[in-house]
Amino acid sequence: MSAMSPISPISPISPTTGMSVDEFRAAARAWMEANLPRRAEGDTETRKPWDIKDVPPAEFAAQRALQKRMYESGFAGITWPAEYGGQGLSAEHQRAFDEVAIEFRQPDLGTLGGTTFHVCAPTMLAHGSPEFLSVHVPRILAGEELVAQFFSDPDAGSDLAGVRTQAVRDGERWILNGSKIWSSGAYNADIGMCLARTNWDVPKHRGLTWFAVPVRARGVTMERIRQINGNEEFCQEFFDDVELTDADVIGTVNDGWTVTQTMLLFERGGGGMRPATRTVGMKPDVVALMDEVGGWDDLAARDAAARVHVDDLVRAALGTRIVAAMRTDPMRAASYASYGKLASGMFDPLRANHMMRIAGNAAIAWGAADASGPDSAGAAAALALLNSRFMAIAGGTVQMQRNTIGEKVLGLPREPSFDSGKPFRDVVRDAAHWSGKVS
Amino acid sequence: MTAPVGLVATLTDEQEMLVDASVRFMEAELPVAAIRAAADGSPRDDAGYRAAAAELGWFGFLGAEAAGGGSVSGNGVVDAAVIAAELGARLQPGPYAGHSVVVDALTRTGGPAHEPVLADLVSGAAWATWAFGDDTACVLGASRDSVRLDGHVALAAEVGSCSHVLLGASGPEGFTQVLVPLDAPGVTVRPLESLDVSRRWGAVDLDGVTLPADAIVGVPGAATAAQLLRQVLLAAVLAAADAVGAMHADFETALQYAKDRIAFGRPIGSFQALKHVIADVSLSVEMAKGIVAEAARALGEDAADAAELAHAAKSFVGEHSVDVMHQCFQVFGGIGFTWEHDQHLYLRRMSADAAMFGAPGWHREQLVATAEAVR
Repeated sequence: MSAMSPISPISPISPTTGMSVDEFRAAARAWMEANLPRRAEGDTETRKPWDIKDVPPAEFAAQRALQKRMYESGFAGITWPAEYGGQGLSAEHQRAFDEVAIEFRQPDLGTLGGTTFHVCAPTMLAHGSPEFLSVHVPRILAGEELVAQFFSDPDAGSDLAGVRTQAVRDGERWILNGSKIWSSGAYNADIGMCLARTNWDVPKHRGLTWFAVPVRARGVTMERIRQINGNEEFCQEFFDDVELTDADVIGTVNDGWTVTQTMLLFERGGGGMRPATRTVGMKPDVVALMDEVGGWDDLAARDAAARVHVDDLVRAALGTRIVAAMRTDPMRAASYASYGKLASGMFDPLRANHMMRIAGNAAIAWGAADASGPDSAGAAAALALLNSRFMAIAGGTVQMQRNTIGEKVLGLPREPSFDSGKPFRDVVRDAAHWSGKVS
Repeated sequence: MTAPVGLVATLTDEQEMLVDASVRFMEAELPVAAIRAAADGSPRDDAGYRAAAAELGWFGFLGAEAAGGGSVSGNGVVDAAVIAAELGARLQPGPYAGHSVVVDALTRTGGPAHEPVLADLVSGAAWATWAFGDDTACVLGASRDSVRLDGHVALAAEVGSCSHVLLGASGPEGFTQVLVPLDAPGVTVRPLESLDVSRRWGAVDLDGVTLPADAIVGVPGAATAAQLLRQVLLAAVLAAADAVGAMHADFETALQYAKDRIAFGRPIGSFQALKHVIADVSLSVEMAKGIVAEAARALGEDAADAAELAHAAKSFVGEHSVDVMHQCFQVFGGIGFTWEHDQHLYLRRMSADAAMFGAPGWHREQLVATAEAVR
């Protein structure tokens, strides 16, 4: 290495560089055999975002270390550019890896893993400057920099472009003030990908900028939110004069909405949506509940169980259809993804209701230690009810999905807008004494 | 030519040609104006329509090549479902689901005596249908050389336009299927008034109908019971596909109306109160297409999940098609209550599709009975 070479935190040559797909598949299998536990037969568990339980800190550190070993061995960021520490390999290499990976338990960084590797980092790769990416992407791949979403404000969720968290220029620095909420797993994160208003004198979509905010920076306070399902997975952050620099900017200043649209595509699964693997027969949770409450002898319960089964099958078929549509019409992939999101938002609550009807009293109260304890199918139905509106609200409500489908897929005209044509400062002022007049 | 339904997300080149030619044929031969005229009593040229449709391959997807049939994609159930959806979207007459079931059943289990009938069904010389439902009750008496049938079929689509009906009956050797010529002595076909006016409905009375023993299709008992399940699944998929076509057409009409109709100074589809209803309807249509396409694929492949997917398709589509109709009706407003508007033709078609070959609740009970048995 010449004296002029920049100091790089990573080994410049990855062990998998230049491998053919077959070589890569074999190397991935060998590595997983040596480093990862095998999945048990029938273990096809895919967790829902609300199912996340706290991972003890020691175990989380071990999972980070495992991610780092995976990266150093050349299996992280398979299709990501080599200049930022990715492997620079093809989509076929990724598919070969995925085929092997389903047999093993992969490094588990909870929701934060999904947020980091499937939402935030791909968005950064699409919009970040080379300087930004060469600093952050290698750390991300090594599990050393996990990224939380600092997206929603307490005052702006579905109306994401209406965020009021702001960054103000101060010489060479940016000063961040405001608050973010619903940041999943942020207590384990190292940075937050934060949407802030940087210009109040232009319409709302044109004055936004994304920043990478170190979670442990001075002025950042984090609180965990106690949820109705007993978890404390969501966090709220408060920013009091947090100092940032231009090196923390992701994308172009005041062009944050472009970045947001990319981010929303990844968040809704448009980037890598795959049809779910499906097993034949009624889902085990329904069978267990029917067994537990003697539902097989009850006509109403039988019909409810069948309705759940039908809807489960139809939703899987919809997934297959959406993936095919995305492939043939990639320009509208994000809009098609809204169908999946809307289906979850509508059918998760319906499913929960059917299960509650089957469960009856078994979902109202349960014993502590006996067969009808907290692990009972009745208790699971109760918990599912509490979680059932997650997809109807998170990441844009079903009403937002209906607007997207209506306007972007079906070509229906938009509602008149009161806030997209005037400076955001005036929007906030005028909304405070709303007259209902179209001006 | 109006756009095809798009039941299957990706068609083979041969399927695309089939769909394109079929849609052109339907729109030229029997546009909605002709369907309306027939509903008002004008005579139909079934023979000419059938023969031309057979040229396109419609009646042979589930038949053997030796009998003049053959699929275009390698999966005859998918081919038939794709055509069924276009038929539903264009309110075409004919007993397509029942006819296809009979072709399939005779191909799989028919004897030499059935070969001439099968050839006529594939070539478009005749239509046949399958009678299935709670209201079909026949008793079979059999001797060495003949069978005797008594009973009735309460209703079947287009049975009055058919040459044969395939019937199930309880007999001395168990469940038995018989192919009954509708011109046999003792058979009476009674035309019925019906909700669905795009197809003609009828009832059949069988009073001491005596047929040669080789009218029996397949081996009575367990083998015929297994064949019955195949017929239920195939009929479910094709009737659901017909309804999906009608859903699609009803929805597309409502969507266009929401863009064209002005109220309160703007297109009514710009109001979120309607836009959201329309988005939900389009989700139902997408889900219905998805499950019917999957069910057709699985049944054509004899996959392990063919049964549950077919039952799910018939159940889901049966309920959601009628929901979709109500929502579209609401978008149309008062114009949807006029005979001149096509909305009611879809309403009628979908309601009949939902009831025929097993209502949604019946298919759900099959699903839950299976789940109970295998748990």
